[in-house]
Amino acid sequence: MRQDQFSQLSPKEQEWLDSYLDGELSPEDFEAMQDKMVESAEYRKIMRRYLSVDHSLEMLEGDSPLEVVPEEQVVTKFPSPVRLAVAAAVAFFFGVLVMSWRGDDQPEGAAEVESQETVSPSAEGFAVVSGLFGAEWNEDSSGYMEGDTLGPEVFRLASGTAEIKFFSGANMTVEGPSEILLKSAWEAECRDGLVRMQVPPAARGFKLQALSTEIIDLGTEFGLSVRDGKGQVEVFDGEISIRHQDEERQLLEKGAAFILPEDGLAIATEKGGVSYPDATKFKKMAEEERLNSREAWQAERAELVKDDRLLAYYCFENADGLSLVPNLAEPRNPETDGAIILAEPVTGRWSGVQSALEFRRPGSRVRVNIPGEFGALTFMSWVRIDSLDRQYNALFLGDGYENGEPHWQIREDGKLMLSVMVDEGRPHPVSKDRRFHRLYYSPPIWDLSMSGQWLHLTSVYDPDQRLVSHFVDGEMVSREEIPDEYLVKTLRIGNGEIGNWGEPFREDPSWAIRNLNGRMDEIAIYKDALSKSEIAEIFARSRSGRR
Amino acid sequence: MSQSETESSEEDLRYEAYIQRFTHCEPDLRRFIRSLLPTCSDADEVMQQTAIVAWRKFEQYDLETNFMKWACVIARFEALAYRRKMARDRLVFREDVFDLMADEGEEEIETRRGEHSALEECLAAMPDKQRNFITLAYTPGIKVKEMAEEAGSSAAAFYMRLKRLRHQLMGCVEGKISEANQIS
Repeated sequence: MRQDQFSQLSPKEQEWLDSYLDGELSPEDFEAMQDKMVESAEYRKIMRRYLSVDHSLEMLEGDSPLEVVPEEQVVTKFPSPVRLAVAAAVAFFFGVLVMSWRGDDQPEGAAEVESQETVSPSAEGFAVVSGLFGAEWNEDSSGYMEGDTLGPEVFRLASGTAEIKFFSGANMTVEGPSEILLKSAWEAECRDGLVRMQVPPAARGFKLQALSTEIIDLGTEFGLSVRDGKGQVEVFDGEISIRHQDEERQLLEKGAAFILPEDGLAIATEKGGVSYPDATKFKKMAEEERLNSREAWQAERAELVKDDRLLAYYCFENADGLSLVPNLAEPRNPETDGAIILAEPVTGRWSGVQSALEFRRPGSRVRVNIPGEFGALTFMSWVRIDSLDRQYNALFLGDGYENGEPHWQIREDGKLMLSVMVDEGRPHPVSKDRRFHRLYYSPPIWDLSMSGQWLHLTSVYDPDQRLVSHFVDGEMVSREEIPDEYLVKTLRIGNGEIGNWGEPFREDPSWAIRNLNGRMDEIAIYKDALSKSEIAEIFARSRSGRR
Repeated sequence: MSQSETESSEEDLRYEAYIQRFTHCEPDLRRFIRSLLPTCSDADEVMQQTAIVAWRKFEQYDLETNFMKWACVIARFEALAYRRKMARDRLVFREDVFDLMADEGEEEIETRRGEHSALEECLAAMPDKQRNFITLAYTPGIKVKEMAEEAGSSAAAFYMRLKRLRHQLMGCVEGKISEANQIS
């Protein structure tokens, strides 16, 4: 697969282009992009090509691939089937997404979606990939993601396990290597592989074709294996009806197992001969693993909070409805608890657990007050960046940026930065309207492809060693010496903000709003310079739950 | 045959000649206009205006010359007028950028056609699922952002997926074009 074909474009130039096409480009970036366009004929050329392709895609609707409607669905009632199909596909798509996220396997849910299908024909499909467990795909296949809808197609899985929910309510767990022809919400054919079907009453009558055998499910759970042309079926619960080649249709009840040869008669065999895949088991395992790792991390945390170098440790679990976030550093000091403003409780790095705050809204922030003077500072946080919308995107910023106060943030180009005000009374040597301070950057540690990914970020200001260091996921990404004239030995925090900037000294609004478009799971501030190995260790102890 | 009847049949013929030419270059013209304005509906509006103005001026058009070029001049003028009206809106090109894009765009009509057919091939070669996704995202009235928001927790992934697919398509289009260039 070829990607990023215009390698001569910088990530930012590429990002401008994408955002322009999506209508999401900020006014400042739009200016910058236009400057680039005036300057570079090549950029204009690329721009025109992008616009042209974009335009072709916009014009697709009339002869869109969505016209590929499954045969059995008839498009007759409507004056403009394509448009309706599209509308239905959209409604359908959302329905599918919602359903798969809820993990809702109630037949009612399925029936609801299915009734939409009968009202408006749709090419978006009749089933959804509801779970993948170590799934791998053949090289010629683009693979599937959880939540993908499936239409009439051949589903090929190289290895691992996949769960497919049909909109009839039937549930199929497939183990690779396998090849399944999906025909409709009520019918599929297993050409190869191991399959377990769970069919709730609402989906009774689901038909599974295997070799020369037709299996009709009568509300039950059964397994089917097809390997090297040899078929075998086993009923775990309820009953099924099978018809092998031209033989009489027969009912199989719980516990029955049959070998289904390509030629010759179906023969009864011992049950338990084949181990059929079970998605429920996988799901439970994944869930347990998640809980275990989170519990393990909570146990680790109980130790970490006793570190007497820890100034503050804010975790955002169960923040729903709360306006205060406790400082967990022991001994506890409620004076240093944080105040949550507008930031929303969201899922953190453990799926399904609200352990993070989102700072997407420009006003969102957590205000804190950490009094005292310190000889060094270490900032450490689990962060999920969705996009870098601002010139500077806040992690932790001291309010007034006064002498000795730190600013920890990420620049729009993905560079992690830590700075400390040296002398607010003195102008900056280079830019006169700024004050005397120095910024210490890492190389870019983030680009748009990492959107939504959880990262463990650490930055250290170490006056003793005269070093500023940045770490990502426990590994050092940069280390820079602090020049003599910029060395600050007495550090302060006082009033400050997580995820935004409280009292900027400049009026310019493009500077004033620095909210992070993303989430923070936790943040720790130490009054000491943590060593490389300590940082690696804390990361290793906390990463087990990383998603 | 009366005078007025002759006139009206002449008018009909002229209209037919116009429609034939305009219809022929409509897709190219629309694509050209689209590259100068921020959205599809802006392009629709200018396209409509261009069709009207071109018909009004059709009498001045020399049937022996290139209609596409002639219509391009009108389209560009209409797009510029529209741009001025819209200049305060978001993502409207500055006039210097607009002029550059229009100058160069006029010269690339053929290139655009090549890209379009390359894209059609690329789309056809795409797995159904990906194609459906991208088609859906580009359906008029569907905003990626809204789709993504509906999609809740995986909004970012959703956006990324669209971008990846678009880049993939661009890569494919690029590839086909450079292949074609090597052959010719």
